[in-house]
Amino acid sequence: MRRRPGIGGLQNAAAARDQFRALGDNVAKLRTDLMKEQLSTFRSQLEDFARKHKNDIRKNPAFRSQFHEMCAKVGVDPLASNKGFWAELLGIGDFYYELGVQIVDICLATRPLNGGLINLEELCKLLRQRRKTAREAVSEDDCLRAISKLKVLGSGFEVISVGKRKLVRSVPTELNKDHNEILELAQVQGFVTVEEVERRLTWSPGRAIDALDSLLDEGLAMIDDGHQDGKRRYWFPCVSSISSYVGTDTL
Amino acid sequence: MQKLGDFKLPQFFNYPPYFTLQPVRETRDKQVQLWKEMILDYCRTQKIYVIGLEEDFPLFTNHVIERSLSHEARQAFLSALVSDGRAEWMDKSHRKCLILWHRVQDWADLILHFVKENGLEDSVMTVEEIRSGTESRGTELHGMDRTVLMRALKLLEHKGKLVIFKGTSADDEGVKFSV
Repeated sequence: MRRRPGIGGLQNAAAARDQFRALGDNVAKLRTDLMKEQLSTFRSQLEDFARKHKNDIRKNPAFRSQFHEMCAKVGVDPLASNKGFWAELLGIGDFYYELGVQIVDICLATRPLNGGLINLEELCKLLRQRRKTAREAVSEDDCLRAISKLKVLGSGFEVISVGKRKLVRSVPTELNKDHNEILELAQVQGFVTVEEVERRLTWSPGRAIDALDSLLDEGLAMIDDGHQDGKRRYWFPCVSSISSYVGTDTL
Repeated sequence: MQKLGDFKLPQFFNYPPYFTLQPVRETRDKQVQLWKEMILDYCRTQKIYVIGLEEDFPLFTNHVIERSLSHEARQAFLSALVSDGRAEWMDKSHRKCLILWHRVQDWADLILHFVKENGLEDSVMTVEEIRSGTESRGTELHGMDRTVLMRALKLLEHKGKLVIFKGTSADDEGVKFSV
């Protein structure tokens, strides 16, 4: 058809555009439908898998962790709600909920000792001690998942990395870069001296003392004036792997 | 776990900063609480009634980590026990501290129980007999500190459960029960 200028021509072009658009929409819809179908197939296969391997998921932390990854890839969150298929099938919502509550308890109990920062390894150890009679083993991955669920509830829990370790923070204290560097330094012996901080990080004396004192004020550090050399040491309970100084019965 | 005799030392005892009085309030509170509990537990299990601040009380020093409590720290922890009613200063200069791992009231209850168990409701006994006689063997009263015993007896006297009277010599105080 020869393009005619004028209104008629414009109307034809518009009609043509509409048709193309309609076709485009159809294609998009087709693609979406196909995707939805594939996804729903994935999901039902995942559900079958979960049903079949329910016990393994419950008992084996490594398996559980891989299962979570699989779910994440398909866009399924077994922990999204406490009701519904996943929660009922696996009872997994309860498991993480329970973990979350225990983690909060432990953090609160140890807070006076470590200022609200506890290293992940320590936390898991205490968690395991507490759950000695429970059937399900708990891994660090489980802890991290439980904590991320806590975050969603807005409880101020967060996991931060300091050097090679992960620390769980249960207070709103913000750690600045200076604090982080000191904590990293402290990981070697569990403590630092002012002199050491100045030397290793090449800071001015004022800067070192300020940072150390603010960590002290936040309850993250404890002073030790008892060494023979007379130098004050700043100890950081959160980087020590000494088990908490609270007897486990108090927890 | 480290032990002192047969006493299991709590973990914090091995963490050096606990031997320095902490300046930050919340940390200090927790520190004091841990020390109070440990001191009471230790005294209870070892049947220690008196702590001399300037003496070698085993809990004041940890040789393994080479730390020792300063005089000020010792004062702080014992004063906290005193505030809790679990200890008393025996002198004005606070050099000796009487540890009440049982409160005086608890000792009084134990004495009443002892009296009833042994059918001594109307009897007379010397103070010494209460703490070292055959009847008290196997009970907590046996070998108890005389000062603490007198305090408990005085409490019971105040409540009309007994009368304390002096015997023929200064050592021979006696008690007439009227439970």
